[in-house]
Amino acid sequence: MIPWSFESGSTQLKIAIFVTLALGFGLFFALMKTPPRLRPKIAATFTFLAGLLYVGIWLWPTAHGREAGDIPANFTEGVAFWLEDTQSQFQNLSNILTSFLLLMGVFSLVRLHATRVSKKQRDWPFSLVLLICVAIMTFIGYWDWLTVMNMKPEELEAMRDVTNQPFAVWMKDLLFDGLLQTMEAAMFSIIAFYILSAAYRAFRVRSVEATILLASAIIVMLGLLGMAENYWSIMIDNMGGLEDPNALVNNLRLEAITQFIRDNLQTPGLRAIDFGVGVGALAMALRLWLSLERGGSTS
Amino acid sequence: MQYFDTGKYQVLFVLVMVAFILINIFRAQNKDIFIRRIAGLNAIEDAVGRATEMGKPVLMVPGLGALNAISVQALNIFAHITRTAARFASPIRLCCGEAAVFAVAQEVIRDVYQSEGVPERMDGDSVRFVSDRQFAFAAGVSGIMLREQTAATFFMGEFFAESLIFAETANSIGAIQVASSTENTQTPFFIAACDYVLIGEEFYAASAYLTRKPVLVGSLVGQDWGKMLIASLVVLGIAMESSQRKGWIEQMENDPAAKTSMMRLFSPEPPDPATKPVRQKHPEEGEAQ
Repeated sequence: MIPWSFESGSTQLKIAIFVTLALGFGLFFALMKTPPRLRPKIAATFTFLAGLLYVGIWLWPTAHGREAGDIPANFTEGVAFWLEDTQSQFQNLSNILTSFLLLMGVFSLVRLHATRVSKKQRDWPFSLVLLICVAIMTFIGYWDWLTVMNMKPEELEAMRDVTNQPFAVWMKDLLFDGLLQTMEAAMFSIIAFYILSAAYRAFRVRSVEATILLASAIIVMLGLLGMAENYWSIMIDNMGGLEDPNALVNNLRLEAITQFIRDNLQTPGLRAIDFGVGVGALAMALRLWLSLERGGSTS
Repeated sequence: MQYFDTGKYQVLFVLVMVAFILINIFRAQNKDIFIRRIAGLNAIEDAVGRATEMGKPVLMVPGLGALNAISVQALNIFAHITRTAARFASPIRLCCGEAAVFAVAQEVIRDVYQSEGVPERMDGDSVRFVSDRQFAFAAGVSGIMLREQTAATFFMGEFFAESLIFAETANSIGAIQVASSTENTQTPFFIAACDYVLIGEEFYAASAYLTRKPVLVGSLVGQDWGKMLIASLVVLGIAMESSQRKGWIEQMENDPAAKTSMMRLFSPEPPDPATKPVRQKHPEEGEAQ
């Protein structure tokens, strides 16, 4: 099996990097020269091989109790070791690709808003604010990273005291924790009001289904309200529920009804949806892996 | 001694499901298969048509998830919506919160306009990367909705807490909302706030419903076979669990103290003679006289 990692600074590592680069460039130019008709087939082959790797990881027996530097005892373990190492390399590859794609995303964002500012289109000041924020956050982010990377361990320890923080770190904390996170929390808190307005529309009595929804929602809401649940319990206690723990009236406690609705109506419903989603995802993944859906909806 | 490794049941189960799907894909090549009506998908044409009449854009959001089967499925549905929009010359906005989805979405939308023979109608800025931060994305998309007054909105894919922000913002501007989330924690929010919702597997059935390609229709029937298998296993599980409980209940019947109120409801027992209250007798009629 080909090893995925070499000792830092070794000749083998340098050769591996050179061969990988040469292969990468070779593959890139070969793809550029490939007739467009063949490209989908190449993509399908790579998709199949990548999927096959994950199927292999799932089906092949896992090496038990592997430690660093272990040599596989037999062929089965050798394949298991290789699959395990390859998976982490695939993850790295995926992360690198995502980073490139993120650059594409940021480029698109900057281009869109720069055009808007340069042509003074509608709401262009907002675009200007966005561009300034992107620039400042990027600059401060890298400055902070360089500062922390070049610090000695004792300086990092001293940074626990906020007054010892360098300006770059303080500024990054201010912008990220102090501003961005706080604004995100504000957005999140708006959801409470949206839930109220959505619930108002959903719970109006318009049909039999809406009425059932309204009734069960009221019971569940009251069951989760401490005060309502407490007064209801007192009423049940007075009806004989306290004297006999096995009395039928105890089944009418608000928390018991709420729990019944959640365990016997809500959870099975959600499980049924989950089954459907799981089977659908399996079928979708199979179609993608075997390239059965070639062209997708665009063809 | 255990002759069969029960840990392999899951592998067997998945292989059976895969076989169901592949067999039905093969079957569907030579046979017309019926698919029931899905209201949310029928509404696509109406929603896009309405947007065209109003001269306002159609907004599509594939959620916050990474590039996976869910986002690819969402893009498949959006490709169909974009095709309809391209025919009507209606502007579109597709907002992405994940860079990889953005890159694929750009290609898909460009392909659709080219396959419709109207590449000049594609606006280069119609597919946008907004932000990969959840609430920055929510704020950005809501801003686009409010500024551009979108007439039709489609939310399909992996949504989390931001789902209700989108749905309520779209409702506040009077846009038609068609939504679907594979996250069952968000589906109730969409049901409460949106006009049409694709629930659970309807999301995956959408491509088959819209394109009627044999591969997709066959795969859908394979999914249904899989669900029937799951339902059969659920029934089998209920029978096995009930049979196990029967023994447990029989044990409990010998111990009256352990009986629950529900057990007493269905198998009332005669009152204990020892608990019979002491009652006074009616005086004899003759004595009274």
